[in-house]
Amino acid sequence: MIGYLTTIMTLVSIAVLIAMALNVQWGMCGMVNFGLSGFVALGAYTTAILMLNGTGVFMAVAAAIVICSVMGALLSLISLRLSDDYLAIVTLGFGEVIRLITLNEDWLTGGALGLPGIPRPLVDYIGTDHYEKFYLAVCVLVVLLIFIGLELATRAPFGRALRAIRDDEVVAASLGKNVLLMRVKAFAIGGGITGIAGSLQAFQFSYIDPSQFSAIMTVYAFMAVIAGGRGSHSGLILGACSIMVLLEATRFLKDVVNILDNSQIAAIRLILIGGGLILLLIYRPQGLIREYRATAPAAPKNVPHDRKE
Amino acid sequence: MKTTDLFLSTLNRRRLLKAGVAAAGVAAFPAPFIRPSWAAEGPIKIGMVIPFTGSTGAYGPEMEKAAKLAVDTINKSGGLLGGRMIELYIEDSESNPTAGAAATKKLLEVNDVNCIIGYWGSPIAMASKQLLIDAKKVMMISCAANAVTEQDHGGLIWRFQAKSTQWGPVGGKISLQRGHKKISVLAQQNPFIGSMIDPFVAEVEKGGGVIVDNLSYLPEQPSYRAEVEKIFGAEPDAVFIPALLTDFVSIMKEVYRGGFTSKVCSLSIAADANGRFLESVGPEVAEGIDHYQPAPPLKSPVYKKFVKDMGEPEDTVFLFAGNAFDQVWTAALAIEKAGTDESAVWTKSVPEIANPPGALVSDGVEALKMLRAGEKIAYVGAGADCDFDSQGDQLNRHFLHRVIKDGKNEFVQTLS
Repeated sequence: MIGYLTTIMTLVSIAVLIAMALNVQWGMCGMVNFGLSGFVALGAYTTAILMLNGTGVFMAVAAAIVICSVMGALLSLISLRLSDDYLAIVTLGFGEVIRLITLNEDWLTGGALGLPGIPRPLVDYIGTDHYEKFYLAVCVLVVLLIFIGLELATRAPFGRALRAIRDDEVVAASLGKNVLLMRVKAFAIGGGITGIAGSLQAFQFSYIDPSQFSAIMTVYAFMAVIAGGRGSHSGLILGACSIMVLLEATRFLKDVVNILDNSQIAAIRLILIGGGLILLLIYRPQGLIREYRATAPAAPKNVPHDRKE
Repeated sequence: MKTTDLFLSTLNRRRLLKAGVAAAGVAAFPAPFIRPSWAAEGPIKIGMVIPFTGSTGAYGPEMEKAAKLAVDTINKSGGLLGGRMIELYIEDSESNPTAGAAATKKLLEVNDVNCIIGYWGSPIAMASKQLLIDAKKVMMISCAANAVTEQDHGGLIWRFQAKSTQWGPVGGKISLQRGHKKISVLAQQNPFIGSMIDPFVAEVEKGGGVIVDNLSYLPEQPSYRAEVEKIFGAEPDAVFIPALLTDFVSIMKEVYRGGFTSKVCSLSIAADANGRFLESVGPEVAEGIDHYQPAPPLKSPVYKKFVKDMGEPEDTVFLFAGNAFDQVWTAALAIEKAGTDESAVWTKSVPEIANPPGALVSDGVEALKMLRAGEKIAYVGAGADCDFDSQGDQLNRHFLHRVIKDGKNEFVQTLS
């Protein structure tokens, strides 16, 4: 059971990282990114290809972060004159381009077969017995560090400016904020985080192939951010956890309920998840946790009654 | 006052009773640990990871049915290792490697299964195999990509399927036999089909044929018109279309609509799919299509009984269901032979019960009886002969070549 929970927690950590990247780009800055799975694939393939060619772990991960950040920045630059819906389509296209490259460039990515035998970092020192626990610890640590970093950024002027741009870019621009630069920064930060998530995914099974980076990965990230409360980092951790718990807990349904056959149970699992999300949106549209807002000090008490109205 | 004094001084009937019960409990508790054989006498647990949802979800249910059929037969005949029943735990792979690996982990850790069978789809097997190797449990796969068994796996992986590279040359032979010289390829892009193209091309060129075009397409497209017009427009003698059911249906409708005359050769998983292809396109579109797949032993009584038990018409040619059936039986026979359900031990018995020399036996219950009588057996399954090489790949996979005539599949030949 512990080994199973370890695996699930590791998968949750990776999902949380992807959701965090989306939260920076969409939750805080208001730019929809439907190409998340492409970014994660880019990170994973960068790490895997470098590792298979004998690069060290840190170099490989750093390269993934840099490449994903730069791609994120470039993508947001391309969409200089595009807003909202158009940007969404550009990102969707980017995800698809990456998918087609991973599928077709056999010499680089192994094509549809993928890349097997990616070396797992430090496995010689840790040993295979405790490796999963070690790897989970690394993932959790990474999540924690990025969470702290993002929380600090949210409370800093940078975070306020991003939210201002999200809520009304004209107002933000009129207050002297460089809207374009802020957007590029947000997309680059998000890109870097997906790069880390991709690296972690590549090491997790020591095998990657294009079908691991399907659109469902992007959908789960949106589900986590929406369920958790758009803009709230702690909320999305809760959101990602609840979605994963829903997904995995429903596996145990058929061990308890014996009336239905497996294909019915499989369909019901997905219905339950969809239903859960709909209920959440009806009864708690703001998400599980509200995003951070600096609250104004309470109104002074000695103000005459009539002026309060 | 010392504790013993306190205890003695307050001893009464109730306390004595409580102490007695507690002592009995303590005595009873470690019993399973003192005698570990108790723990081993529960059911023998087998896991299964197959797709029920996602793009390959259609293939899961028949494998589930076949595996349950085998398990029921074994349990009704009295189980294994002197009366232990088999319990089958099935998980959905969602046609997705990450979900498949999570399902594998759940079966290993939570259900504590002895081996895991199924594994339709090479990426899912690739993502899961390290988990099984680390846990030293047997993995039985139904997928074709060579890569799954290529690296060292400590003898834990057994493939119940022809390798991708074995599929290709057969298609080449069929096209050449039909007298086709100019041949094009229109292949779905997936790991299984991808690795059969090069051997196909090599076979055709070896036999003096010419490859006109070689095109891969992505599945789940709304239309294949562009691909079809490019390939068929060049008017080759024949087109080899290794595909899966849904895309093959769309492609053939497009070919019919365009009025193209090149002959088509495909895989039975697309051009038959247990009759679903003909149901979808009708006899006119399907006329004259050659198709092939690894053949089950069609004439053996066990295969006939298997088809009947599955509730399908007599002439059904199963591929995946038969393999799933064989996986359960091979595991069961190897466990019985080894006398233990320890995975790392009984995996060594798999060639002993499957490969010659030994009496060829295809009825599993009969095979169990012979094993118990100390005879040497070579099990022949409902999906294949079930002989393995040292890498865990199946040997002697014959291919069944059929052609569609007047809305019916006609037998042409068996190739190897």
